[in-house]
Amino acid sequence: MTTVTMTVNGKSVTANVDPRTLLAQFVRENLRLTGTHVGCDTSQCGACVVHVDGRAVKSCTVLAVSCDGASVTTIEGLANGAELHPMQAAFREHHGLQCGFCTPGMIMSAVDIVNRKGHDLDEHTIREELEGNICRCTGYHNIVKAVEAGAKAMGGTVAAGIAAE
Amino acid sequence: MYLRPRTIDAAVAALVETKGRIVAGGTDVMPALVDQVRRTPFIDISAVDDLRGITISGGKVRMGARTTWTDIASADLPPALHGLQAAAREVGSRQIQNVGTIAGNLCNASPAADGVPPLLALDAEVELTSAAGRRSMPLASFILGNRKTELRAGEMMTAVTVSALGPAARSAFLKLGARRYLVISIAMAAAVVERGKDGTIADARIAVGACSAVARRLSALEKDLVGKPFSPAAAEFVTAAHVAGLTPIDDVRATATYRTDAAETVVRRVLAACLSETAHA
Repeated sequence: MTTVTMTVNGKSVTANVDPRTLLAQFVRENLRLTGTHVGCDTSQCGACVVHVDGRAVKSCTVLAVSCDGASVTTIEGLANGAELHPMQAAFREHHGLQCGFCTPGMIMSAVDIVNRKGHDLDEHTIREELEGNICRCTGYHNIVKAVEAGAKAMGGTVAAGIAAE
Repeated sequence: MYLRPRTIDAAVAALVETKGRIVAGGTDVMPALVDQVRRTPFIDISAVDDLRGITISGGKVRMGARTTWTDIASADLPPALHGLQAAAREVGSRQIQNVGTIAGNLCNASPAADGVPPLLALDAEVELTSAAGRRSMPLASFILGNRKTELRAGEMMTAVTVSALGPAARSAFLKLGARRYLVISIAMAAAVVERGKDGTIADARIAVGACSAVARRLSALEKDLVGKPFSPAAAEFVTAAHVAGLTPIDDVRATATYRTDAAETVVRRVLAACLSETAHA
């Protein structure tokens, strides 16, 4: 077993884990943060996207112990109490989901896109930047609309999104 | 067992002691282990600072082994490396590029590795370090076959070095897959072309990936291009004979016949892109 300490959604956590534990397993099983989903388990589908030190990664291929000392944000870390993060609110408003399985990863990637590319995103950029997130229900149409609206909304309330990082 | 060394010396010592597997981004290692018990000791080099980063000096560009594809794509590099940067943006998806590394791509030795054709076209050298010291060799000699490399027990790749070339060099990369994004190549090509003082092609280096066990340079084409006009029209000199030496396989992504045909087209297009004035504006 290996001891790992990291900050998850702003809180310091220390755990003794089998060093083979993946970050996705760690947040779901050790921390019971089951909002991070595991779809393909091979880093293709993007349902498991979280942020490590402010960068989007697929947590199903990252070892938890390699995140020792890192700051991790999962989907649970976005909302401010009962108040949804602007990107979450936009996905609800624009119905950017059907079954919802890909949604946590979509939203984490969407927030990452805004952090890198700003608040004024065109459709082409959004579609291109969502290359690593697969949705089998929606056909992406409403997801793209939600990301565009969420990006604009984040421009109005920067504090919630960036502070969570 | 899991070790997370902080220095190259400690990483090499851990390799000798545990015969473990080097892991950096893990984007190739972990998916290959799904549904298997992960028994191999891991030597996680993600905390070795000396292995990350790009330095340019003395006309050479040196990329540390665990330099990520995002690092490469976002660096300010000379035009000869723009093709490598384009390839960096094609590796998996953004989340993969954020953690996946240049040396991981090379040591994994997939026939469809996106990093290999542009680095072959740049005559890249790889630096290998063991307890006995360091040795360097051309990338072309390092990759021996599908998933086979020259890496010896107790040895790790520590850097990849290419010549920066001058402002007269241009480069490009093109990948064909079944869809636009997040795709394993059916065929891909990289070109590095240098312009002579007389406005013709002084030197051309073309490599094709995913159409043989190891990506290959097209030496006959390279010779034929020397002296041709440095313009997209030079792409018309590419013939079926130039790609006839490739040995593609039939698999789930494409047939061998399709791959050979596609390779010719991809090579023609990558050359045209490389030689167009606007491609590097």
